Amino acid sequence: MLKCKINGKEMEVPQGTSIIEAFKLSGQDIAHYCWHPGLSVAGVCRLCMVEIEGQPKLQIACNTMVQDGMVINNNSETVKDVVRWGLDFHLINHPLDCPICDQAGECGLQDQYMQFGKYDPEMAERKVKKRKVVDLGPTVVLDSERCILCSRCVRFTDEVSKTHELGIFNRGDRSEIGTFKDRPLDNKYSLNTVDICPVGALTSKDFRFRQRVWYLKTAESICPGCSTGCNVNVYYNEEGLWRVRPRHNPEVNGHWMCDEGRDTYKYVNRKARLLEAKMGHRDNWTLESPGAAAKAAGQKLREVIEAHGPESVALVLTGQYTTEELETAVQKFKGDLGSSLVYHWVNNPESFEDFDGILLRGDKNPNTKGLLKILEQEGVSLTWKDLESRVQQGQIKTVVVAGPENQSVFPDFVEKVNLLAGVENVVWLTACPHSVLDSREKATWQIPLKTYIEKAGSFINHQGKTQSFEVGTVIVSSALTLAEAATLLVGQELEVSSGDRLAELTRKKNFFTETRGAL
Amino acid sequence: MADFQLSAEGVEFVKAELKRYETPLSAVIPCLYRVQKENQGWVSPESVSYLSQLMDIPEAHINEVLSFYTMFNREPVGRHHVQVCCNISCAMNGARELTHHLCKSFDVKEGEVSKDGKLTITRVECLGSCGTAPMMQINDRYYENLSPDSAVKIIKELE
Repeated sequence: MLKCKINGKEMEVPQGTSIIEAFKLSGQDIAHYCWHPGLSVAGVCRLCMVEIEGQPKLQIACNTMVQDGMVINNNSETVKDVVRWGLDFHLINHPLDCPICDQAGECGLQDQYMQFGKYDPEMAERKVKKRKVVDLGPTVVLDSERCILCSRCVRFTDEVSKTHELGIFNRGDRSEIGTFKDRPLDNKYSLNTVDICPVGALTSKDFRFRQRVWYLKTAESICPGCSTGCNVNVYYNEEGLWRVRPRHNPEVNGHWMCDEGRDTYKYVNRKARLLEAKMGHRDNWTLESPGAAAKAAGQKLREVIEAHGPESVALVLTGQYTTEELETAVQKFKGDLGSSLVYHWVNNPESFEDFDGILLRGDKNPNTKGLLKILEQEGVSLTWKDLESRVQQGQIKTVVVAGPENQSVFPDFVEKVNLLAGVENVVWLTACPHSVLDSREKATWQIPLKTYIEKAGSFINHQGKTQSFEVGTVIVSSALTLAEAATLLVGQELEVSSGDRLAELTRKKNFFTETRGAL
Repeated sequence: MADFQLSAEGVEFVKAELKRYETPLSAVIPCLYRVQKENQGWVSPESVSYLSQLMDIPEAHINEVLSFYTMFNREPVGRHHVQVCCNISCAMNGARELTHHLCKSFDVKEGEVSKDGKLTITRVECLGSCGTAPMMQINDRYYENLSPDSAVKIIKELE
């Protein structure tokens, strides 16, 4: 361990720590653009200047290693002056279009300017004009004028995604970010470049101009997109979710997440959701509140069991629910209904084990491990074949399906619904509607469930790591969790919660007023 | 545009250059020079793709180098690339007027290829021959102590 003093604060850091990392460890602010903890050091922005006792010149904190006994500060007038000038140079060609820039509110330049701005620019020359609104690929838009050439995105494509699309072309004040021959920036991690862009040069096609970031609140969650279980922040307002961004977790996803995972907010919003329960069959549906529909379906379940015995009822589960929900569902089903027919719906067995070497996994369920654990714990080991043969023989009169939340990753969705076409009653628990369910000929209950962001629980990822999350926000308040639905289905009543949690939720503070300037 | 390919010697050259440095990235400049030489004086996007495959370096990285240095031409040039130095000594000795005179004499705009494909005239920064200003470089040769007439004569004598 090396001893050093940072702005008067004594601390010990491990060998090989750079000064900027020591600043981060000590919890003190230091201006920077090009340095990113997940990327290599470039040392191009020259903003993280620090004064080291005994050294005549200022040094950049990102590329200087801490040595034993170093006394470092970044709050002297010299340092502040240098940062002020450094920032002014960055702004020479940067357009002052914050009011129409999508990055405003979470922009590194804005944040640093509050602290180090000269407020009286001395540049009389015209700004260099560069390309604007460049369609860089399916997900990203580039504005070259706003770019400060920190090279974070270039290093990202070189070091993390290893796709090497981006480069800095030309030189001097004509330098700009681009791709060779303007080929699209099209990789599965391209939106990370938008996250790490400290200015508004790279913006997300999906998110730009849809919301001002200061109107959004954030909640921590776990991405339900695949079995990696990336830690994420979701950004929401009263209308619903607007975007998903990665949250640092060195054990799971580092600083990154894939583009696919960022789409997981789409099926959560009201437009995509099943808002009321539907009971009936094709062309003859009655709308009902979710709770009442679950009770009615429960009544039917018990009638079927009375008539045909408990083995006429089956439960189909997907790895899209929390461990707690799955446990309650299986226990209620086995204990209270007495049926041991519980099945695991595997959506894409061929690609289940796929892994792209970075984050993306073929298993598109966040909690397959959790489901397998519960099934093992409850002693269930039935194969899908078994269900198929029982259905064909007509032994099964009623199936309860906890269908996928994220239907788009279940390529066999229609096939599975059709498999159950001959079953007399299907209770389909789902967050989103699907036309193939609406066209079922026999009795069906479609009961709306809550999505991952609306409930608390835990997922077990591919490593076997249990990751818990809290309720982020509620979008369809009447929807049930799987545990609630299972409770109602077996004829029990729900416990009424005090409502304190909801009050706590609504009082959640705005992320941006708390962590401004955190790059 | 047909796909570009280096000659067998060119490929050998690239392979030797790759071995010469600690990192293959260091070999980009000599290899681009070679490509420019074998591709009628300019480096086309196709040749960058070709070089990228040959050297196993991403195209974007080669393009970064290519677009940084002015010695590489990214547009076609004539058979004779006339670079007139217009830095301080040459400028004081009339290099800018010389450039205009040459362009007028051969009916070609600065930076463009003449109609017969013979000539491209460009202004460049210091070529390090200040003592013999004004001067120009045609392909790999220096021509020094020029006057408008001698420069025209030199170019006319080229085939």
